[in-house]
Amino acid sequence: MHPYGAARPILHKKWTAHSGAPRLLGLPGRDGLIELIGRIRRIGKTVPSTKPTLSRYLFACMTNDQPTPLSPAAIAALRELVGAENVIVGGDELLVYECDAYTIEKQLPHAVVLPKNTAEVAAVVRLCAKWGVPFIPRGAGTSLSGTVLAVTGGVMIALTRMNRVLEVDYRNRRALVEAGCVNAWITQAVKGRGLYYAPDPSSQSACTIGGNVATNSGGPHTLKYGVTTNHVLGFEFVLPDGEVCWLGTRPDGGEEVDGYDLRGVVIGSEGMFGIVTRVLVQLTRAPQSFKTMMGVFESVDAASQTVSDIIAAGIVPGAMEMMDQLITQAVEAAYHFGFPLDAGAVLIIELDGLAAGLERQADRVQEICRQNGAREVRLARTEAERLELWKCRKRAFGAIGRLSPNFLTQDGVVPRSQLPAIMRYIRACSERHGLRIPNVFHAGDGNIHPLILYDEREPDQVRRALLAGHEILEQCIALGGSASGEHGIGVEKIDFMARQFSPDDLAAMRTVRRVFDPAQRCNPHKMFPGSKRCADFAPRKQAAA
Amino acid sequence: MPLKLKPAHRQELAAALAAATARGEAIAEVDVSALNRVIEHQPSDQTVTVEAGLTLGALQELLARHGQWLPVDPAHATRLTLRELIDANLSGPRRCGHGTIRDHVLGLTVALADGTLARSGGRVVKNVAGYDLAKLFIGAAGSLGVVTEVTFKLKPLPQAEEFLAAPGATLEAAAQLLEAVAGSALTPVVLDLHRLDPATPGVTVVAGFAGAREDVAWETARARALGFTAVGDLGHEPAFWSAPGAAHRLSVLPALVAPALRPLGAATFVARAGNGVIYHRGPAAAPAPPAPGPLAVMRRLKAAFDPAGIFPNPLPPPAPGAPPV
Ligand SMILES: Cc1cc2nc3c(=O)[nH]c(=O)nc-3n(C[C@H](O)[C@H](O)[C@H](O)COP(=O)(O)OP(=O)(O)OC[C@H]3O[C@@H](n4cnc5c(N)ncnc54)[C@H](O)[C@@H]3O)c2cc1C
Repeated sequence: MHPYGAARPILHKKWTAHSGAPRLLGLPGRDGLIELIGRIRRIGKTVPSTKPTLSRYLFACMTNDQPTPLSPAAIAALRELVGAENVIVGGDELLVYECDAYTIEKQLPHAVVLPKNTAEVAAVVRLCAKWGVPFIPRGAGTSLSGTVLAVTGGVMIALTRMNRVLEVDYRNRRALVEAGCVNAWITQAVKGRGLYYAPDPSSQSACTIGGNVATNSGGPHTLKYGVTTNHVLGFEFVLPDGEVCWLGTRPDGGEEVDGYDLRGVVIGSEGMFGIVTRVLVQLTRAPQSFKTMMGVFESVDAASQTVSDIIAAGIVPGAMEMMDQLITQAVEAAYHFGFPLDAGAVLIIELDGLAAGLERQADRVQEICRQNGAREVRLARTEAERLELWKCRKRAFGAIGRLSPNFLTQDGVVPRSQLPAIMRYIRACSERHGLRIPNVFHAGDGNIHPLILYDEREPDQVRRALLAGHEILEQCIALGGSASGEHGIGVEKIDFMARQFSPDDLAAMRTVRRVFDPAQRCNPHKMFPGSKRCADFAPRKQAAA
Repeated sequence: MPLKLKPAHRQELAAALAAATARGEAIAEVDVSALNRVIEHQPSDQTVTVEAGLTLGALQELLARHGQWLPVDPAHATRLTLRELIDANLSGPRRCGHGTIRDHVLGLTVALADGTLARSGGRVVKNVAGYDLAKLFIGAAGSLGVVTEVTFKLKPLPQAEEFLAAPGATLEAAAQLLEAVAGSALTPVVLDLHRLDPATPGVTVVAGFAGAREDVAWETARARALGFTAVGDLGHEPAFWSAPGAAHRLSVLPALVAPALRPLGAATFVARAGNGVIYHRGPAAAPAPPAPGPLAVMRRLKAAFDPAGIFPNPLPPPAPGAPPV
């Protein structure tokens, strides 16, 4: 049985609500390419911004990787496997899956499958292998880099129905959970036993542990405790041919595993090596005590210097998070915590550990803040106050809605000592492009999150927002940093890979990709700059960006 | 004549590897001691980038001058190059508090069999651009490439560090003590159990605490109350590794360290009780064959990175009659 329908559509175009860019549901083969390019030219005349999506489609088309609808027989086969209620092929329900939290590009998968167990995941993956159809693992869809985008359609396999905490081993401080389990649920499940799961992305009340593994997520507290790879011992994994295996430490096994660290290389591979179905995490002992402070500074520079000075003093806070004036004002308007509205920057510094030594360290931190001209250093007096402060920080992105209809979150990293330099650059960038760019970020790690505000109804604003984002990330790389600290490359930052890595570096990465997924059907068209052919279209994209 | 390389710089190494691959010639040894430069140390960023021929001891000495260290402590640091540390994924007693070298590598450059130099990661403390290839090379026994350069994430040296011991206990008493530690609020950076002399039946538990002075004082007071009555040290570590005879490794759940030690009888051993890792000189257990799925992926990796087989192959040979990868 061939999974694709007999009748091949030529070219459907439909306008996406937000931009007017065409969504192509089916592309002609190479034969139709000339015709297609003609159409694109015509579209280009009527549509002000040729979206990156467009060039991605051309690329997909040229590499003969064409989005073609699944045949009714294929859909029936999927329904039979997992139950009709767990297969979505159309309507509003499918629209949920057209993008992740990176909403600038959208594309519908041909089908979304919601399996209930590993056997179903493996069976769906095997069918996709048989049909030669791309498949895309998906968690909660909170990715900020378009890494869940179904670039050429295909079958999206969403793990959200597999969301249980299966076992907790308190003595050995381990928990076994299903991949769709929400990050925060793990900590909730072991609360009261003095344990928690350390990596705490700001999206932790929604994002899944499988998504965390795929993106090697971090969070405010990764400054002291490390990122996902430092806390995930092993996982059950479905390879792109449908074989189920266990990588890394087994639930009943020791830390050391013979052979290559496949666990380690799958973590952060952005769902391109296979599907994680169960995860064994290491739990961390909850700190005995916290000292959480809020330092109020005249300028971002002064707050950045404070961060460097605290590190230089040999103090390792649990977290050091910065909010600049724009974001502080938005957060204050939304949550009324009592943030000063006229301060250049607010620094949240959390010390944790044994109560014995914290007092003196907290004194030292306050002293450093004052040396850098802090006008006020406020200590959270109660646990409730501390949690309130964190709630404001973690919901900061949400407060942006008050400032602007749309925002683009960037995720660059610079060496800590370059924080003042990059913040100055962002300010200049904001002025140059006439866009507001508030900042709320993991200062202790040098991981910036400029939020570029724009209105998607204004094509020129979209263009300027993309351009500003581009320039900021380029500057991060120029300062010795990286284009992504935690959100991943996805489709969004593909262009930066060739800037940050040499062709040889990229070739080695691709070698590993092909080892796991020789047909490159698992979450295709992500991370890597296209082949030579695609490069022909890059200038078009650049112009659009 | 097996090929021995001693490159003066990494371009020379890369060219030699490409030539060996072209001729299909196995390399017996690569001496990287000439690649020993410190490329960049930014104390305020807590990162360091160095060539892999530098010894761990020399690196720690440099870092200590800035009040920092690379938080791994395998034995014989002064003669151990960083490449050896990474190839074998070595660790020491402080693994309990600081993890292994996998937790501290930010970026890695490797000379591959095809003569290219491939870098992954970067020099900043947080970075998810590209795949985390460093993980593949750490612990790969040099079978996928030759590590030439590495960037580490550093930690400040602790203000205070103190060791306590509970010497001469029976294995049962030691097991009870370990359970007591696990159930307490203590956060030891070292929790070792050892027997160095087969003639003495007793085992010794060593616990180490590090951090702010007040923290260490608080922890040691609690530990003494639990039964760590003597002053301790880490002398057992070099002593065990200097003794003759090959050591074998066992890895079990931390709670199962004592049961795993029981069948070893009077054999000498050092166990990282907090991690469930045991090194011993008892009878070697037959290695459990890796599961077929992961093993097949590992074999494909080996074939892809080293098609001519110029590097050693640590993977178990395929069963006779098995189809080639
Ligand atoms: C408001 C907000 C705040 C955020 N804050 C942070 C932060 O502080 N730190 C941070 O690191 N990130 C942050 N993010 C980004 C995002 O939440 C993380 O990348 C998260 O790990 C994604 O998880 P998810 O379940 O939503 O995965 P998805 O978005 O669904 O998928 C992300 C990637 O993982 C893959 N994937 C998902 N599940 C699996 C699986 N089971 N097996 C294999 N691959 C899989 C997908 O294919 C995709 O490549 C934030 C996002 C938002 C919207």
